[in-house]
Amino acid sequence: MPATRGAGPALDPVLEVADLSVRFGGINAVSDVSLSVMPGRVTGLIGPNGAGKTTTFNVITGLQEPTHGSVFIDGKEISTLPPYKRARLGLARTFQRLEVFGSLTVYENVLAAAEFHKSWSSDPTPPVKVAAEVIDRVGLRRVANARVDALPTGISRLVELGRALATRPRVLLLDEVGSGLNPDETAALGDLMLALVSDGTAILLVEHDVELVMRVCAQIFVLDFGRLIASGTPAEIQNDPGVQAAYLGSDEIAS
Amino acid sequence: MTAFEGFLITGLVTGCIYALIAMGLVVTYTTTGIFNFSHGAIAMFAAYMFWQLWQGWDLNVILSFLLVLLVIAPLFGLLIEVLLMRPLRGASVDLMLVITLGLLLALVGIANSAWSPTVTRVLPQLYNGDGFRVGKVLVSWHELITVGALVAVAIVLRMLFTRARVGVAMRAVVDNPDLVAMAGGRPIRVQQLSWALSCSLAALGGMLLAPIQQLNILNLTLLVVDGYAAAIIGRLRNLPVSVAGAIVIAVGQQMAQGYLPNSGFLTRVQNIIPMIVLFIVLIALPQDRLKSATFADAVAPRVASLRASVSTGTVLVVAALITAGFLSGPNLKIGANGFVTGIELLSLVLLTGYGGMTSLCVLSFVGLGAFAMSHVGGSGGSLLGVLAAIGLAGGVGALVALPTLRLRGLYLALATFSFATVMDLAVFTQILGTGGNLAVARVHIPGIPTQSDRAYFTVCAVAFVLVAIGVLALRRGSFGRRLVATNDSPAACATLGVNVNGTKLITFTIAAGLAGFAGALAGGVPGSVSANDFAALGSLVVLLLARIGGINTATGALLGASTLTVFSVAQPHLPGWVGQLQYTLTGLAAISVGRSPNGFGGRIASLIERVRPRSDELPEELTSVNDDGTVGSVFFAEEKELAHAGH
Repeated sequence: MPATRGAGPALDPVLEVADLSVRFGGINAVSDVSLSVMPGRVTGLIGPNGAGKTTTFNVITGLQEPTHGSVFIDGKEISTLPPYKRARLGLARTFQRLEVFGSLTVYENVLAAAEFHKSWSSDPTPPVKVAAEVIDRVGLRRVANARVDALPTGISRLVELGRALATRPRVLLLDEVGSGLNPDETAALGDLMLALVSDGTAILLVEHDVELVMRVCAQIFVLDFGRLIASGTPAEIQNDPGVQAAYLGSDEIAS
Repeated sequence: MTAFEGFLITGLVTGCIYALIAMGLVVTYTTTGIFNFSHGAIAMFAAYMFWQLWQGWDLNVILSFLLVLLVIAPLFGLLIEVLLMRPLRGASVDLMLVITLGLLLALVGIANSAWSPTVTRVLPQLYNGDGFRVGKVLVSWHELITVGALVAVAIVLRMLFTRARVGVAMRAVVDNPDLVAMAGGRPIRVQQLSWALSCSLAALGGMLLAPIQQLNILNLTLLVVDGYAAAIIGRLRNLPVSVAGAIVIAVGQQMAQGYLPNSGFLTRVQNIIPMIVLFIVLIALPQDRLKSATFADAVAPRVASLRASVSTGTVLVVAALITAGFLSGPNLKIGANGFVTGIELLSLVLLTGYGGMTSLCVLSFVGLGAFAMSHVGGSGGSLLGVLAAIGLAGGVGALVALPTLRLRGLYLALATFSFATVMDLAVFTQILGTGGNLAVARVHIPGIPTQSDRAYFTVCAVAFVLVAIGVLALRRGSFGRRLVATNDSPAACATLGVNVNGTKLITFTIAAGLAGFAGALAGGVPGSVSANDFAALGSLVVLLLARIGGINTATGALLGASTLTVFSVAQPHLPGWVGQLQYTLTGLAAISVGRSPNGFGGRIASLIERVRPRSDELPEELTSVNDDGTVGSVFFAEEKELAHAGH
C-alpha cells in the first residue's frame, strides 16, 4: 500500500497492513483487514475477545503466516521476512500469553534484549546502560534480581514491555500489557506510552481498558469477528453505532 | 525370479512385525501422549521370556506363547503404568524421554544378567520352520502366522477404536482426561488398558521377530527401533499409514540386501535403511510453528561465578594430583575415563541443560574425535590431532544440526538417535573396525609429562576442569543468556531480532566439538578404540548419566561421571550374574534421581545456597536508578500498602 501522498514525511505510516486474511480450518480469524500506524502516536486496535487482534499481531511480527494480505514497514513489503528480520527493522512486541524468559532474572531479561539489539544494530550504547535505562523507565528496579517465572502476571507483562523497549523499537506492538493493573498503575502506564510516542515511537495498542484506550490513542481501529467495523479518532469511535452494537450488552464503549 | 519372490516374502513378513511394533507405540502415544522409547526393549524381554518358558523350562509352545502374550506382557504393562507412566501425564518431553530410556536401559541390563550374552540361545520358528510351497517359494507357517497376527490385530484395533465404548474413551482420554473423568469415564482404567495392550503388541512382535532374526539382546532392542520409523511415518497417529510404511521399509531393506553389491560400505546399507527413512521423514514432517514458552520442571540452580568455578576447579586438580599417587594402574584408567566422560556430560550441559536440545548421539561425535586423533595425531599424539578431533566433530555436528534445527523435543531426540544408529552400524564399523582396534595415542604436550597412566589421569582431570570453567563462562556471558532465552521462549527471541536457528546451530556445533575433544582424550586411555565403544546405546547411557548428576550444572557433570566410575570400579568385584550393572543401575537411577533435571548436582547446589545464601545485590548500573512514579514503582508502592493494611 503506498504511503499517503501529498503529506509531509511525518505523516507517512511506519507500519501498514493491507487486505489481511487469516483462516484457521474453516474459521476466518481475520478477514480483509487493512490498517496503518503513524509514528509519534498511539494507535488502538480494539474489539471483543476473539476479534482477531492477537492474530493480527502474530501476522505483523511474522509468527503467523496469513492466508492473504501484506505487511509493510516504511512502505517496504516485509511479508516474506522471517520474524527476526522484521524485528531488526524496528518492530517489537509484547505477548498476551506471556513469553518471558522464565529462568532469567528481570534484569537479565532486559539485558538479553539489549544485547540482542546491540548484536544486530549499529547502536554503540553498551547493553548494560540500555538495560539500566529501561529498568528505570518501566520501574522494575525492585524486582531486578528476581527470576521472572516467580513473578505475578502483571509485573511479567511489564518485563515484556521493558524487554521490547530494550531493542529501541520504532514500532511497538502492545498486546494487553495493562491487564492485571489497577487504575493508578494503568495511569502510570498511560504516561509511559505518551512519553514514548512523544519521542517518535509508534505504538499499536491492543487493550480492553476503554478508558486507557480513549486517553492515549490518536487513532483507533475496531475489529469484530475478524472484520474491521470502524476506524477513526476516539470521539468518532465512541459515537459509531456499529461499534456500539458490537459491544452491546457491555455498553462500556459508550460510558 | 525365485530370489526376488523370496526377498519379497521375507520383506513382507518383517514388515508385518515392524507394523505390530509401530501399532503398539501408536496405541500408547495416542491414548497417553507418551512415546515409549523402551517399547523395543519390552519386545526383546518378551522374546527371552518366551525362550525361557518354551526352550528353557520345556513348557508347551502354545502355552508359552499365550502366557507371554496374554498374561506376562499385559501385567508388565499394568506395572509400568502404575509405577512409571501415570505420573508422566502432562510432563515435559524431556522427563518422558528420561523415564522411558531409563526403563530401556534397565531392561537391557536385567536381560544381560538373566540371560548371559556369552551363551548362544536359539529360538526356533513356530512349527520348526515347516511350511508350504507357493510356486517355487517356501512359505513357513511361522511367516503365515505373522501375517495372520497382523491382520487379526488390525481388525481388533479397528473395532476397538471405532465401535467399543472403551476404545472411544481411549481416544477421548488423550484429549482431556479430566473431562472424561467428569463425564463418568475412568481415564486411569483406560490408560492401564492401553499400556497392557501396547506391551502385548510389543511381545507379539518380539516373539515373532526373534526366530527370524536372532535371539540377541542388543540387536533385538535396536532392531525393533526400526518399527519406530514406521510409527513416525504415520505421525504417531495413523495406524493404516504406519502399517504401510512398515511394509515398504522392510521390503526395501530386503531388496537392498538382495541386490546391492556384497562388499564395502553398501553391504551395511540395509541395516540402516529404516534409520535413514526415520531421519528423512522427521525432517520432512511439517513442524509446529515457534512454540510458546514452557517452564522447566524445576528451577535450575544458579550459575557458579568465575571465582567459584576457578577455585573449585583448582581444588579438583589438586585432589586429582594427590589421589593419582594412591591409585593402581587400572583404577587410574577408570578415573581418566571418568574425567573424559565428564567432558561428554559437559557438552550435554551446554546443549541440553542450557539450550534445551536433546541429543541422543553424543558418542557419535566422541567416536569422530577418536578417529581424527588417531589419524591426524599419529603415533606421537600431536596436539594437531586434538584440533582435528574438535574440528571434525564440530563440522559434522553442524551438518547434522542444519536439517534438524527445526525439530524440537521428541522429534529431535529421534532424529539424533537415528543419526547415532547410522554412525554406529554403517560408519564406525567401517572406519574404526569392530574387532580390530584402531590405535589412538595419548596427546603429547611439549614439556609436560602425559604418557604414564598417572600423568594421563591428571591431564584428563585438568582438561575436564578447563572445559567446565569454559562452559560456565559461556553460560554467564551474553551468548549464555541468548541460549537460555532461546530455550525459554523461541517466539519472543525471534521478535527481538534473534536468529533462533543460528543460535541453535552454533550451540550444537560447540557441543559436538566438545564431544570430539573428549574423543581425542578417550582413545588414549586404553590406547585404542573400536566401533563398540561408540554404540548408539552408549549415547543413551551418557544422557542418563547427565540427568542423574544434574544436566544443568558442571557439578552435575562431575557427579554423573563419578557414578559411572563407581560402577566401573565395582564391576570386577561383583559375581558374574550381576551382569552389566552399569546398564541396570544407570537405568534405575535415571528413573528415580533423573526425574529432576537438576539431579544430584542440583540438590548439592541448593544445600550450599542454604548454608551460604547469595547476596541479592543489584547490578552496579542499577544502584543509582530512581524510578519513582513509573508504572512498576506504583505497582510496588500499592503492594506495600496492601501488606500494611493486612497487618
